[in-house]
Amino acid sequence: MQGVLRYSRLMLALARFGIARELAFRGNFLVKVFVEILWLTILLAFYKTVFAKTSIVADWGETEYLFFVGCYFAVEGLLETFFLENCNEFADLVRTGDLDFYLLKPIDEQFLVTCRKIDWSTAPNFLMGVGVMGLALRQMGWTFHWGQVGVFLLMFACGIAIAYSFLLLLTSTSMWFMRNQSLFEMWWLFTSLMRYPKEIFDKSWAWPIGFFFTFIVPVLLVVNIPARTMVRAINEPRFVFFTLAATVILLWSSRKFFKFALRLYRSASS
Amino acid sequence: MSSVRPPIPEPGIQWSRDAVLTLPADRPVRVLRKYWNICRVSLIERLTYRADFFLATLLRFLPMLTTILLWQAVYAGADATKGQQELSGFTFSEMVAYLLLVHISRMFSSMPGLAAGIARDVREGTLKKYLIQPIDMIAYLVSYRAAHKMAYIATSALPYGLLFLLCWPIFPDISLSYWKVAAYIVSLFLGFLIGFFFEAAIGMVGFWFLEVTSLLYIVNTLNFFVSGQMFPVDLLPHPWDWILKLLPFQYMAYFPAAILLGKVEGTDLICQLLGEVVWVVVFIALSRWLYRLGLKRYSAYGG
Amino acid sequence: MPIIEANDLTKVYRVSQKKKGLLAAVRGLYRREYKEVRAVDGVRFTIEPGEMVGFLGPNGAGKTTTLKMLSGLIYPTSGTARVLDFVPWERARAFRQQFSLVMGQKNQLWWDLPASDSFELHREIYSLDKTRFNQTVGELTEMFAVQGLTRQPVRELSLGERMKMELIAALLHQPQLLLLDEPTIGLDVVAQVTIQKCLKEYNAHRGVTVLLTSHNMRDVEALCTRVMVITHGKVIYDGPLAGITEQFGQSKLVRLQFMGETTPDGLDRFGEVTRREGPAAELKIERQRVAQAVADVLDHYTVVDLSVEDPPLDQVIARVFQEGHTNHELRSSTNS
Repeated sequence: MQGVLRYSRLMLALARFGIARELAFRGNFLVKVFVEILWLTILLAFYKTVFAKTSIVADWGETEYLFFVGCYFAVEGLLETFFLENCNEFADLVRTGDLDFYLLKPIDEQFLVTCRKIDWSTAPNFLMGVGVMGLALRQMGWTFHWGQVGVFLLMFACGIAIAYSFLLLLTSTSMWFMRNQSLFEMWWLFTSLMRYPKEIFDKSWAWPIGFFFTFIVPVLLVVNIPARTMVRAINEPRFVFFTLAATVILLWSSRKFFKFALRLYRSASS
Repeated sequence: MSSVRPPIPEPGIQWSRDAVLTLPADRPVRVLRKYWNICRVSLIERLTYRADFFLATLLRFLPMLTTILLWQAVYAGADATKGQQELSGFTFSEMVAYLLLVHISRMFSSMPGLAAGIARDVREGTLKKYLIQPIDMIAYLVSYRAAHKMAYIATSALPYGLLFLLCWPIFPDISLSYWKVAAYIVSLFLGFLIGFFFEAAIGMVGFWFLEVTSLLYIVNTLNFFVSGQMFPVDLLPHPWDWILKLLPFQYMAYFPAAILLGKVEGTDLICQLLGEVVWVVVFIALSRWLYRLGLKRYSAYGG
Repeated sequence: MPIIEANDLTKVYRVSQKKKGLLAAVRGLYRREYKEVRAVDGVRFTIEPGEMVGFLGPNGAGKTTTLKMLSGLIYPTSGTARVLDFVPWERARAFRQQFSLVMGQKNQLWWDLPASDSFELHREIYSLDKTRFNQTVGELTEMFAVQGLTRQPVRELSLGERMKMELIAALLHQPQLLLLDEPTIGLDVVAQVTIQKCLKEYNAHRGVTVLLTSHNMRDVEALCTRVMVITHGKVIYDGPLAGITEQFGQSKLVRLQFMGETTPDGLDRFGEVTRREGPAAELKIERQRVAQAVADVLDHYTVVDLSVEDPPLDQVIARVFQEGHTNHELRSSTNS
């Protein structure tokens, strides 16, 4: 408990200083927020164009798909706000040896490497995503149901955790691979898998790939499962349990892998 | 008492330290062992490099895969609900072909780092080298980019060729005439020029504002949509498709692909090609003018 | 109880050799030659609490590597060490709470924010009590004379000011051990002197053990009562500063002032003449021969003034480094 309190206070301090930092570069901050709004607009324009031509895409109806888009945007927003920028710097930290300073602090290294800065310019994304989700629910005529919201929130958290684990795995590989592309690029490519409902894989020639990315490398669960729990009844509880299990396994193994990468760093650096 | 940590293999090429075992056995065995270890270690090293390459290549195919699958679902949905097998005149196979062809167009018209490079030269004063030496900055950059592009296209030819072969069964029947191919090549070349001079013009803004990257960020995000990289411009409702076809951005992605797919033909094609030439001239003029103005300002401030 | 105990600490790196030429490049595809670099070679010492110890050595001698092993950043290849009664490379949280490592020319503080914000963050990271923390900050900023600068973004500070902030941050959690790696490198003389003064004061008042590495003599001279000289991963000397000249200084400097306008000829049979100016001359004479040579000079010439000095410490050190380098080269060429 004491540990949780300590890390929460640390997070708060980091958040505070993050704001100070962003406000020091106000213009830049506003531009970034503007671009994110632009990006959401583009996603919605794409969505509208597609649904002008059809009323169903891979088992998802129009308002259901809108909820999916909102959910995706919220998930991406959270990941970008808390983790992405930090992970992108990891390769530089290893290269310059500045990683040492994080190893010296009496704080968990994974926390410092992945959470030390908060990118406030993408924070509105989460709110915008929530807004879109709310809009979709209203259009659907959804009625409030405690159980459903509870499961949704749980699955949403699991989705974030799963995505975080993959981010950590990708970041750790920077220890071995000297890359030309930045982590941003690789992450963008990887997350293209969670951008669309996983049902596009089912009933097509690509279903083995869909299977792989659902059960072996469960990226497809990240946005899909939370979104599904909200727009349909949970008729397959086994998916919920599988997601929970996957979350725990991935969090554990990504942390192990990260620590392994650190051990290698500490054997080879001079 | 002993806190000696057993040696941990170091990454990359230094793994050999643990790999080489000492064997107090006969010499031939030891020699064999040694060479086996060297082989193993070299293999590991090569594979690490390969693994990285493999991972990067695999990742690069993912967006393409998901996009194609999405459109497959869209077309299936349109067929099921509205009995439509064409979306704004594009069949599914044409859509797939379009998405792949747009990548080719972008190979010619994308200019990563051009605007940022110009702005950086202005900001850090390295612009001076263009002023001292008898080279024109724009001409230099064009030739540099052209050479770069040729090398890039040559090296990308193989993986893209493979990709096309893979997707060949889905491909529509494209009738190729000399005229069409010629127009296609011309449009790619003009697309290169538009892409270059447009970003060069943005770079020139660096003479007045230090932070060109913000502007670039906005422009590139918009361009992604407006140039037709996400889907053919025709899919948009009136009057948007008409508006976007008037803008120069469609030439950077949509236009060449549309030519090859036969979506633009005859007089329409000639008009749009001429339009493209006009835009090229406009952007050349704009970038040159901004360059001249910028230089005046630059020298006035002493760089 | 010693605060640091190192026993046969060794760190070996294998570096692949890239040879020149086409044939070698081709051979390099299927067979790689590796060279063993013994960055730290069987280093052994103990440090008691409150000591101020200097690690002197040329670049690449193994000072930084040793320091990093003692902080737990690097695993050793072999050997043991105990720091603050912990095994450093196990990196126990309690261990990390009790020491600080500061590296010259490397910035631990947040670049865009004022130093005071970095200090606040430090407080959270080390879970420091607020009132004690404020008191400590006040004391340290006063000691380093940077009170007015803490609200300025770190990137706007000069190199010397930044270093002072780094040191303050390192001392905020009142560590028992302070490890410094080339702390004054790149700083101007005034900043160097201020920092040296503050460190000395802090050590005297708080009893913090300080271990500092440097290739610059001034730091060591100003701060350390005990010096360890390291070359090529080996400690070749461990003791007081003055002892270095005794052990390694092979010659002494004899200053002579002769009667008359000029120095006489033939001085070079007594030793190496390093300077000649009017009636004054300087001779470098081997230690063992000094007494005899001086007696001879006094016999042969009329001397007005005479003094025998040790050569400047940095000359001695420089020669030690140089010699260590040549010996090492010899050794490695005979090995391969």
